[in-house]
Amino acid sequence: MTPVVQLKAVTREFAGTAAVREVDLTVTRGQFVALLGPSGCGKTTTLRMIAGYLQPTSGTILLEGRDATRLPPERRNIGMVFQSYALFPHMTVAKNVAFGLQMRKVPAAQIRTRVHEALDLVGLAHLADRRPQQLSGGQQQRVALARAIAARPAVLLLDEPLSNLDARLRVQMRQELLRIQRETGITAILVTHDQEEALELADSMVILDRGRVVQQGHPREVFRAPRTRFVAEFLGYENFLDLPGRGRITIRPEHVDVVEHDAAPPAGGESVTGTVAAVRFRGTDCVVTVDVGGQNVLATTTNDSLRAGSPVRLFLPLDRAISLTGTDSVPGDGGQGTPSLQHQQESPA
Amino acid sequence: MRRRPVLWGLAALALLFLLGPILLMVPVAFSSGDTIEFPPPGLSTRWFEQALDYQPFLDALRTSLLVAGGATLLALLIGVPATLVIQRYRFPGRKAIETLFLSPVIVPELVLGFALFQQLMVTLRITALGALLIGHTVLLLPYAVRVTGASLAMSDPALEEAARGLGAGPVRAFFRITLPVMTPGIVAASVLSLLTSFNNVPLSLLLTGPGMSTLPVEMLRYVEFSFDPVVAAVSTLLLGITVVVALVTERLVGFNKVFSQ
Ligand SMILES: Nc1ncnc2c1ncn2[C@@H]1O[C@H](COP(=O)(O)OP(=O)(O)OP(=O)(O)O)[C@@H](O)[C@H]1O
Ligand SMILES: [Mg+2]
Repeated sequence: MTPVVQLKAVTREFAGTAAVREVDLTVTRGQFVALLGPSGCGKTTTLRMIAGYLQPTSGTILLEGRDATRLPPERRNIGMVFQSYALFPHMTVAKNVAFGLQMRKVPAAQIRTRVHEALDLVGLAHLADRRPQQLSGGQQQRVALARAIAARPAVLLLDEPLSNLDARLRVQMRQELLRIQRETGITAILVTHDQEEALELADSMVILDRGRVVQQGHPREVFRAPRTRFVAEFLGYENFLDLPGRGRITIRPEHVDVVEHDAAPPAGGESVTGTVAAVRFRGTDCVVTVDVGGQNVLATTTNDSLRAGSPVRLFLPLDRAISLTGTDSVPGDGGQGTPSLQHQQESPA
Repeated sequence: MRRRPVLWGLAALALLFLLGPILLMVPVAFSSGDTIEFPPPGLSTRWFEQALDYQPFLDALRTSLLVAGGATLLALLIGVPATLVIQRYRFPGRKAIETLFLSPVIVPELVLGFALFQQLMVTLRITALGALLIGHTVLLLPYAVRVTGASLAMSDPALEEAARGLGAGPVRAFFRITLPVMTPGIVAASVLSLLTSFNNVPLSLLLTGPGMSTLPVEMLRYVEFSFDPVVAAVSTLLLGITVVVALVTERLVGFNKVFSQ
């Protein structure tokens, strides 16, 4: 089956600096792909190149198997939901949704039913005659979605579509988005810097770091086996340890056992000794920060007798430790071997 | 009224100061007497009849309307595309071009008028009507650029992209989306330009020639040697037209829209 979207070694430079470097990406029909990464990593740039609003400096973009690298946006058959929604202020909701159909020369009678269908899908059929300014943020979001999918584009592009909504509405709209994508079977690419959003929605996750793809795969897979420290940190992992003979590993605080410092090292894992640096009481348990030879390691424990300065031994079960086999591609990334844990106090997702 | 008597008192005074002379002018226009005097000895419409019979005023009115309409049209034809380029594209020298379009506001009008007089009428030997048209276009350009620019700046630049993504080519995206979004700004700029040109004296004073004059200039000339209430009658007519224009604009786009820009 031909992929709906295919990027081959796509690079985009701004004034000589690459915002997107050699990105390869394949999106098959019906897939929901999330482009994920920190601010400035090139997510929007990648999406805008797929939509045709930006030209790649080099590389090829194929849409449904055809070379679309130089095609203008109006000839790409895409549907885009903008962060600002970009609803036409001088048109009613229905006219907004009808616009793409008119441009594609769909007969008027058919337009009416398809506008109604699209608005029905997002649950806004009753607001068809309103102006965008008369709608709430969440409603505008739905209109933008209806407008983007009404003409049944080959791919739906979403640039942080939920970022302008408040927290509760955001979680609710995630479910809506998922339902709509499942009901229509539309191929979708979602840009987000919210890993939870990506985990919940996408069936493929692409993580970008400074314009490069650093890992891609099913969200569960990526979450279980981050390849590099960058990916692991981005997904909320906090403990990074260099173990002799095992290389760099990461492990969740709840999987680290705090044992007596003079206890015999148990089998089936590694153990390290250190000193308690800080204790944070959370009610049912404590999060202790342990200084292990200069590296901070977080662990949860129900032992509430630990105080700062107590010597402890940490047991790291091997089946819980994740080996970080990849190295972060671009040199100069945050201090190799020196975990930066002090500012990441919340527990991982 | 009761809460802040000083404030309201000052506001009333200011209003009286601004509107007082205008309100005194109206009864004078309806005077039956031969000179400007207040209160008028009696009421009549003879000065209106005389004003409408006075050929130099009629010619000047025609010139004024022609110049105001023509210069507004020209200023919009140049100013609107310029605004689009300035607002939507980033290129070297963008700020300089923007400043250039806004600079006539800073240059004293008499200086501008004299410069244009020298260049257009003396050096290039352009007719008075041509010079008036060009001069007023220059005068109005900043309004066209400012007011339409403000309406464009308030709109989301992603609108055009959205239209393109939905299948509209650049031309259709412009006419279906960008232009309608700019329309209130363009209407506001037109009204402002028409009134500015129609009321202008300093520039017109230098660019009018023998047998070619705008209404305000002609009125000025008239009062230099005459004290009858004809000018009051003309002023009253102009006042009436201005009020009508204001009401129509209010109806079309809303005043808050025009003046918040
Ligand atoms: N038009 C532009 N001109 C110059 N540099 C740009 C332009 N657009 C993007 N960049 C740069 O390219 C890099 C990637 O930007 P991009 O907008 O793709 O990031 P992003 O991943 O979408 O970030 P965010 O999460 O903040 O939206 C940034 O360093 C940015 O400064
Ligand atoms: Mg972005």
